[in-house]
Amino acid sequence: MRHIFLAALLAATPAAAVIRVDINSGIAQPLPIAVPAFATPAATSTAAGSTAALGAQVAQVIANDLGSSGLFRPIDPAAYTTTVTMADTTVPQYASWRTVAAQALVTGSVTANPDGGITLACYAYDVFAGQELARQGFVTTAANWRRAAHKCADLVYSRLTGESGYFDSRIVYVSETGPKTKRIKRLAVMDQDGAGHRFLTNGQSLVLTPRFAPNQQTITYMSFQGNRPRVWVYTIGSGTQEAVGDFPNMSFAPRFSPSGDNLIFSMAVGGNTDIYRLDLGSRKLTRLTTAPGIDTAPSYSPDGSRIVFESDRGGTQQLYTMGAGGDGQTRISFGSGRYATPVWSPRGDLVAFTKLGGGQFRIGVMKPDGGGERLLTNAYQDEGPTWSPNGRVVLFFRSLAGRAGTANLYSVDLSGQNERKLRTPLDGSDPAWSPLLP
Amino acid sequence: MTERQALLGAGVAHIALFAALSLGWASMERPPLFEEAVAVELLDVAPETRVTELPKPSMDAAPQETSAPPPAPEPEPAPPEPAPPEPAPTPDPVPKPQPPKPEPKPKPKPTPPKVAAAKPVPKPEKLDLAELSSLIDKSLPKAPKKVRDPQAFAKSIEISVPKAAKLDGRATASLAAAIRAQIAPCWNPPIGGSDVKKMTVVLAIQLTRDGRVVGQPTVVSQTGATGGNAGYAKAFADTAVRAVLRCAPLKLPADMYDAWKAFELNFDPSEMT
Repeated sequence: MRHIFLAALLAATPAAAVIRVDINSGIAQPLPIAVPAFATPAATSTAAGSTAALGAQVAQVIANDLGSSGLFRPIDPAAYTTTVTMADTTVPQYASWRTVAAQALVTGSVTANPDGGITLACYAYDVFAGQELARQGFVTTAANWRRAAHKCADLVYSRLTGESGYFDSRIVYVSETGPKTKRIKRLAVMDQDGAGHRFLTNGQSLVLTPRFAPNQQTITYMSFQGNRPRVWVYTIGSGTQEAVGDFPNMSFAPRFSPSGDNLIFSMAVGGNTDIYRLDLGSRKLTRLTTAPGIDTAPSYSPDGSRIVFESDRGGTQQLYTMGAGGDGQTRISFGSGRYATPVWSPRGDLVAFTKLGGGQFRIGVMKPDGGGERLLTNAYQDEGPTWSPNGRVVLFFRSLAGRAGTANLYSVDLSGQNERKLRTPLDGSDPAWSPLLP
Repeated sequence: MTERQALLGAGVAHIALFAALSLGWASMERPPLFEEAVAVELLDVAPETRVTELPKPSMDAAPQETSAPPPAPEPEPAPPEPAPPEPAPTPDPVPKPQPPKPEPKPKPKPTPPKVAAAKPVPKPEKLDLAELSSLIDKSLPKAPKKVRDPQAFAKSIEISVPKAAKLDGRATASLAAAIRAQIAPCWNPPIGGSDVKKMTVVLAIQLTRDGRVVGQPTVVSQTGATGGNAGYAKAFADTAVRAVLRCAPLKLPADMYDAWKAFELNFDPSEMT
């Protein structure tokens, strides 16, 4: 009884004293952000050019990263009313940045180190509150300045959105060229923003479905090398390629476990395609599914405890989940149409997939229990989703209707907004996003 | 990681830390730098992975292909996996001649109608003897433990509450609407966060007569914040503060200043997603 009165008293007092207004709506707009050229204490030449020039390039990379997320709107530098000196990097001219309607500001500097490397200092500010939000320094080789810039962008992104960044990451994909009937397919890697592009294989053999290992040093993929479709592993550092096992049958759709200790893939044995796990240490092969039909496209949950895959055991291609040992196989997709290429989000809360139906391939997401299905894209043929390291963006490839069969890489935000085409030298398919680089 | 690598890494970390600290000292007199330095090393120079030591590599066709791409274009001998000095996220108190941080000291709890504020905990209107003696006995200065007549007490609350609210009555609602209409268009919450549905934040705001914010809005309470989403909770609260600062000065009826010189805003995006 007494408690009730006390509660009433407590509840009543502030209500009587101060009005409280509920704000239940807002806007969803990219945050205007200024990224002026980074300062330098003294223009010094480095292996990557003068620190003054680098300062401008760093700012461009950061602005491009933030803008590409769709959550920020970098303000055109032409509008800036001030440049940033070394002193300004830590004591910004807030008033000046308010006049160009910047809500956030990134400043920093590039300093040449005696060893030939550079130090990149990165600061983020809230312009209206007039407060520093974050700061971090990065020491690296001059040639590696882009990665330092990406790390700065990740710092800003994570402080302002509360989610981890994803800009310091890479993408491996299949570069395609030539007519549809005689397509040359090569493995290629590039930074998340398209920089640093290079080919890994020469195109003599058809390659498909490259996937990064958690350590990003190796890539597993399927190659038709020697006219035997098998799972291979490419080591980036050494450029070596090796088949993971001399299995007599076709093996495909490989993916690493989150620990990197295992590979899971499909293998066709006696007309039945099942999912197998290969322990890379002991070389022990374990069969995880036995159902008749095709079980393929396995993908681990981020904690490694579960696997999502596709199977036509029920008559049509659908998504299933099971324990990492093959236990408890359960169908999770029940919408109209067919479902393929599931990928577990690094956040663990969603599975992305390709949905086939109505003459279209579309990218969608659902919860691991099959609930909350949402489609993110709506085009003729979108397929092969892969997640950004923070689980916020989905990358996929889009093929155009017609003979040309051109395919390109696209990204879309988890909200279905901010669809963007990635620039690649040639056509591209089968992308896979790396985890954040160490 | 081998022991040697670990030692090497630790060495590099120490050197980096020393260098960073030196920079920090230097920055006392010179253009300020940051104090934490994180080494960014190259991806391409990492040691071989387990994957390559395969007993049966079936190398029949591999060599030809291997010759194709120039391997590892960046053979730079970068420091071996230096696991750099933990980037302490604390923006250390370096020479930071920040603009005056006007911490609004006047606790944002100023109840407009002074009368109402004083009322809620009324002095014991009537004490019985037992209570009186107990007070004397224990010389406890705090509120009397003895229960007052519940009915009367409830009534006193009832009277005091509506009285304050009633003063504004309908006006309060329209005042709230006016505030809402000016704040909402400035609020850009981080909708995409996985925890957005559960999160709300209440800010206390004080305004001058011309609608400017006194000091900075302060966070009164926040729901949905857990140990795991501290970064998101912080970013979320920041968007609410930013909304207020961006939209200020607010245009509100001058004759009702007592009602809006201090108020609270409850930011709740649950209906937005």
